[in-house]
Amino acid sequence: MQYQSQKIALNFYTAAVLLFLVQVLVGIIAALQFMWPDFFILNFNTIRTLHINALVVWLLLGMMGATYYVIPEESETELWSVPLAQLQFWATVLAVSLVVVGYIIMGINPQANTQIFGTLLLNEGREYIEAPRWADILIVVSVLLFLLNCFMTVLKTKKFTAVQGVLLGGLTFLALMYLPGMFYTNSMVKDQFWWWWVVHLWVEGSWELIAAALLAFMLHKLLGTEVKVLAKWMYIEVGLVLFTGILGLGHHYYWIGTPGYWLWVGGIFSSLEPIPLLLMVWDAFRTTRETRGVVSNRVGLYLTVSHAIFNFVGAGLWGVVHTLPQVNKWTHGTQVTTAHGHLAFYGAYVLLIVAMMYVTIPSLRGVKEFNQSKGYQAFWWMTISMIFIVITITGAGMVQTYLERLFGLDYVAVKAGYNLWFWIFRAIFGVGFLVGVLILVVDVLTLGKKAAA
Amino acid sequence: MSNNAAKHLFIWGSVLCFVILIVLTVDTMGKLDQRAPEITAEVDEGKKVWHKYDCIGCHTIFGNGSYFAPDMTKVTVRKPTGYLKKFIMNPRAIKPDSAMPVLGLTDKEADNLMAFLDWTSKVDTNGWPPAPILASARMDKTAGAGQVLFYRYDCAACHEIGGMGGVAGPDLTHVGSKHPDMEWHIRHLRSPETVVPDSAMPSFDHLTDQELKEIAEYMITLK
Ligand code: HEC
Ligand code: HEC
Ligand code: HEM
Ligand code: HEM
Ligand SMILES: [Fe+2]
Repeated sequence: MQYQSQKIALNFYTAAVLLFLVQVLVGIIAALQFMWPDFFILNFNTIRTLHINALVVWLLLGMMGATYYVIPEESETELWSVPLAQLQFWATVLAVSLVVVGYIIMGINPQANTQIFGTLLLNEGREYIEAPRWADILIVVSVLLFLLNCFMTVLKTKKFTAVQGVLLGGLTFLALMYLPGMFYTNSMVKDQFWWWWVVHLWVEGSWELIAAALLAFMLHKLLGTEVKVLAKWMYIEVGLVLFTGILGLGHHYYWIGTPGYWLWVGGIFSSLEPIPLLLMVWDAFRTTRETRGVVSNRVGLYLTVSHAIFNFVGAGLWGVVHTLPQVNKWTHGTQVTTAHGHLAFYGAYVLLIVAMMYVTIPSLRGVKEFNQSKGYQAFWWMTISMIFIVITITGAGMVQTYLERLFGLDYVAVKAGYNLWFWIFRAIFGVGFLVGVLILVVDVLTLGKKAAA
Repeated sequence: MSNNAAKHLFIWGSVLCFVILIVLTVDTMGKLDQRAPEITAEVDEGKKVWHKYDCIGCHTIFGNGSYFAPDMTKVTVRKPTGYLKKFIMNPRAIKPDSAMPVLGLTDKEADNLMAFLDWTSKVDTNGWPPAPILASARMDKTAGAGQVLFYRYDCAACHEIGGMGGVAGPDLTHVGSKHPDMEWHIRHLRSPETVVPDSAMPSFDHLTDQELKEIAEYMITLK
């Protein structure tokens, strides 16, 4: 670490891994509720809301932490304002805690979720963006302060690097794409239309830009690859991400009441979406192969390459199989979607942030050598468990598609009968995943501390 | 390609794609009203109730949401709103093992929800959800008149026979042993509530006497 202010990243990382732990704990509860709906004081909907909100928030915290590390290094100067970064961190933690308390209150007593000023007080009742309007505003303010801090840092030295440009471009796009989720419309069709702008243009647009920039950053830092080469491929990758991903949004407009031409737009553009993800895999392998000499942070490199591979498999392959309207007509809204959602988020973003942690924490704590074995253990526990969860749920999705959609059996009959074993196995593999997360949390909190002392 | 060329291709190509998206969005917004019925005050209120109770945290609608509970898009097509309203106000009174909790909906809220779900049921969704193409296999060729009526009036939306059908009402595979009396069935179909207290089954009073008789005959063969 060259700049003291980079240390703020550690705050974000700590909060991120703790929320990751919460996410996975409630994930296991959700899985058990498929067998015993009354298993917990909170109903499934509240548990699921906590699960997916914790996911999104900890990934965002991880991205912010990573960015606070990257920007000073790229700009070769201290962060514009450390107190502002600290304020922004604690404000975010406070807002998130308040929202969680609100969800729990609403889970216990749904009547508490009343209308104020035309919006719902505790839970907006829209998947992923359940946070109420007042919290949306706090989130936007927090992100704007964060962006301000980053841009002011860049302006201090005016070293406009490619990585910095794409990273901050992606983050700005991310902030903008939160806005379409922030107004009420009385049409459920329009509601879903704008909701997908947020969800799709995040994970298949702005977040992929951030991923591509961080990938280039990590490859450069780990392998010393020339920035010029990395930057060129990064531009090509993010270009293709947006050329396919922006209009690929159409793959969510097949069946929600929107005109039929979306079947063509969505089908054509979204089936091309795996191409840039494959390029990223090739990029990671090529730079690794071309590197001479030893890489000291092997686990960091391992995670970086794994991120590239699982981004392609989870988002690219598990996405493309159900993206054509001819297939999606039958699989839409089944467990096939859940399987894809898990592997895509895991490969594209969980592994990205975990890789960033392993690449940057050693230098943040000022060590060159550290015990890498826990990192590998965490990776393998999580990855093997996730692969099995995904296989299990893909199986459940295929059974559901066949029996319910093609054969006309009742939804409940399929869920409670034919798919029961899949739910049981998901819960068991979920515990394996939890083991991996526990190892990760301990390692992230302690890594390099002993060596430094 | 030089770095600068790659960068400009990325920026201007993306801007172009985004402009196309905005054009398509404007066009879509203009066409939506013709593809759905008018949004009345009840529908709007119903949508707010849908959000208030976070129904999407368990259900999908238009196929999007959570996969813990059945899709709501066309739910009023197969089941009458009278039944559905009773169900959502107190699921476990109708199905003791229901995985849907009692949410504490008021009568008014439930009515508005029904207006909302009736609205989504009438939206033109490009044919989704598709009719199950393998389902025709379930009608065997030797089906008698009563069995044909059973499927025509979609009793199967709520009842299973031999593992096929819905689960809102009891499994009828052996109902002939439980209720061997034809008259019981006819009375029950005409007015379920007078035979079974608080029954949530819709009345089939609008069927002809002949049709009711044929269905009842079919019922008592299910031993
Ligand atoms: C905690 C999860 C949960 C929540 C929240 C929930 N439901 Fe359900 N709902 C279910 C499940 C599970 C079923 C499937 C039938 C069963 O198991 O009884 C169901 C069934 C239904 C049915 C009957 C469908 C049919 O075809 O018979 C309707 C209608 C319904 N829900 C509407 C709603 C509405 C409206 C809301 C919001 C006010 C809501 N549900 C909230 C879990 C939930
Ligand atoms: C909207 C759902 C629904 C539909 C449609 C429906 N039923 Fe029912 N049915 C129920 C419910 C709920 C019960 C349990 C209450 C009762 O016995 O009245 C029931 C009970 C029954 C019973 C008594 C079963 C027992 O074990 O006591 C029979 C027989 C029956 N239905 C036949 C039919 C027939 C025939 C049709 C079609 C003409 C039909 N049902 C349509 C919901 C439905
Ligand atoms: C980049 C990371 C990606 C992530 C994190 C991701 C995540 C998700 C999630 C969570 C959903 C479910 C949304 C819901 O709750 O309704 C979803 C749906 C979907 N995704 Fe992805 N996705 C990614 C990339 C892709 C790609 C590249 C494709 C196609 C090539 C794709 C195709 C789809 C399709 C077709 C659906 C709709 C499923 C349905 O009809 O139910 N995804 N995605
Ligand atoms: C212990 C491991 C986990 C278990 C048991 C688990 C369980 C669940 C369950 C039961 C659901 C609800 C699915 C439904 O509605 O049918 C869910 C949703 C979801 N989970 Fe997990 N989860 C786990 C880990 C994770 C991880 C690590 C991620 C991120 C990579 C993740 C991301 C998601 C997402 C995005 C959804 C929404 C799915 C969708 O809409 O398709 N989960 N999870
Ligand atoms: Fe998408």
